[in-house]
Amino acid sequence: MSKIELKNVTKVYDKTNKAIDDLSLIINDGEFFILLGPTGAGKTTTLRSIAGLEKINSGKILFDDEDYTSVQPAFRDTAFVFQQFSLYPHYKVFDNLAFPLKSRLRNLSKDEIKEKVEKIAKMLKIESKLNNKATELSGGEMQRVAIGRALVRDPNIYLMDEPLSSLDAKLRETLRVELKNIQRNLGATILYVTHDQAEATTMADRIGVLEEGKLVQVGTPEEIYNNPKSTYVAHRLGSPRINIIDEEILSLKDKPNNTKQLGIRPENIKINTGTYEGKIRTTEALGAETVIGIEYKQIELLALFQGSFKGIKGDNIKFDIDTKNILYFNDRNENIS
Amino acid sequence: MDTSRSPMEPSGFSKKIAAFIIIVYTVVTLIPITWIVLTGFKSVDSAVSYPPEVIFEPSLEGYVNLFTARTRQSEEYLDSLPPPETWYEELVRSKDMVITGPSKFFSRYLNSMIIGFGATFLSIFLGTLAAYAFSRFKVPLKDDLMFFILSTRMFPPIAVAVPIFIMYRKLGLGDTHIGMIILYTVVNLSLAVWLLKGFMDEIPKEYEEAAMIDGYTRFQAFFKIVLPQATTGIAATAIFCMIFSWNEYAFAVLLTQFNAQTAPPFIPTIIGEGGIDWPAIAAGTTLFLLPVMIFTVVLRKHLLRGITFGAVRK
Repeated sequence: MSKIELKNVTKVYDKTNKAIDDLSLIINDGEFFILLGPTGAGKTTTLRSIAGLEKINSGKILFDDEDYTSVQPAFRDTAFVFQQFSLYPHYKVFDNLAFPLKSRLRNLSKDEIKEKVEKIAKMLKIESKLNNKATELSGGEMQRVAIGRALVRDPNIYLMDEPLSSLDAKLRETLRVELKNIQRNLGATILYVTHDQAEATTMADRIGVLEEGKLVQVGTPEEIYNNPKSTYVAHRLGSPRINIIDEEILSLKDKPNNTKQLGIRPENIKINTGTYEGKIRTTEALGAETVIGIEYKQIELLALFQGSFKGIKGDNIKFDIDTKNILYFNDRNENIS
Repeated sequence: MDTSRSPMEPSGFSKKIAAFIIIVYTVVTLIPITWIVLTGFKSVDSAVSYPPEVIFEPSLEGYVNLFTARTRQSEEYLDSLPPPETWYEELVRSKDMVITGPSKFFSRYLNSMIIGFGATFLSIFLGTLAAYAFSRFKVPLKDDLMFFILSTRMFPPIAVAVPIFIMYRKLGLGDTHIGMIILYTVVNLSLAVWLLKGFMDEIPKEYEEAAMIDGYTRFQAFFKIVLPQATTGIAATAIFCMIFSWNEYAFAVLLTQFNAQTAPPFIPTIIGEGGIDWPAIAAGTTLFLLPVMIFTVVLRKHLLRGITFGAVRK
């Protein structure tokens, strides 16, 4: 495993569009780093650049302080899990897992390969499928084999491009936990790309938030959640989403100068208490919790209520806002709390 | 309402009509082939009898004549010979002839094999590499080049027969195997590149990328990952190339006479004693049909999948 460093990396596809814009980032040895951002933010391009599948236009990529910027993919020794199309369809599961080990670069004996493949298959609970053809697997098994093909060797870094996004919710949760455990046990360096914030918060040691090719904030999930640099970052984490409203709506007394907008997390709005009064617009029961949409001065505030909620649409409702945890943003959407 | 079949399933009646049309078409197409196969087993006399004989006494005269060269001899000379040793000698003797040696058919047939398979192999080899490059890399003027490749098939190949004839004479390629292989490859290549590029485009590039990250060079990835998945397209393309090279007549007449002459220009020249030897020609044609039929049958699973490729995803 290695420390990976990106120094001022820029990748341009066509002249007007920068896929990655002056991106600098250090992923420490043994770290689970997640890049978070919406489609088109440059997440996949970043991964592909590290793997060597894309030539970067400027900047440097260092593996353990060694310049790898123009090294061929095969010699970078990275492992990549693609979003789709990840198995070689004409091979059996065993051969899929063994494929990276059979490379001449690694020069392993047949017994060593067999041993490694079986160990990984056991870890991912696919040992009974080793003789199946790759096309005879279910979606979850396929993706497990794809992850296995990466884990079967000991590369500089594991690069994972939304590996769980094509799976159903239950399997995704299971694999999320498994993946985190595996990473901890192996001490693996992983750069993981997703737009799913649940994946980001549950697995990451650190998160990097990408916006239009720029890295806007790097930090632990807590840092990013509690102290986002901008409204953009604030929107990336938290479900239900944060309420961003004009500051005039609440007209608070204690606020920094030049406050333009307020950010209020739904869990910081308390129901059936306090001085504010609104109307219920929507309710969404999530089991143990209920998300309530409250109409207040022509805007909608989302509140998170613990327990099952009895109110119905159109009812008047009282609520209170926990002012200690309000985020303040200026006219450039920057956090000035 | 009848719910036993899906809305897309044709009704029993239209299925019957379709079956009827197919049967009629099959019969019409098979008549000439049946006629040729049957004629190959007729004697010279019954082959030209009128009305045509549908039921006849089978004879291997056509095949014997196809493979042998014979001369007519006087009765006294024939009587002076020792008795015939083989069944085909006996057959020839009964027509007052003796076998003087093998005919040229076998060598012409071999030429067809060498040139047909050679050109097919070369077309596929070059076509696969070119199609891969066009499919995966940023080639300058890619669209123009692809159009240029296609444009080589916009006129009938025989339109350039004269320049090619002159060129081949100057280069010493006339009547050579290699010359004919090159010529058929040139004609086939545009079809091969276009067909194969379509198949290559269907193979996700993530496969090779994965292989390259797994520690393989692009060439290794191409041979280990791309090629096995392109077999369908390669088989389908190979059949088209093979059929063209095998059947080609015009260039073969023009450019080959002896050394590299293929079967198509040779077969019609089989002339027997006192007239055209129809059974021998029919026998030659029957044998000529076989390789391309076997080739197609062997690869037909791929051919069918090749034609429906794109509509049917795994």
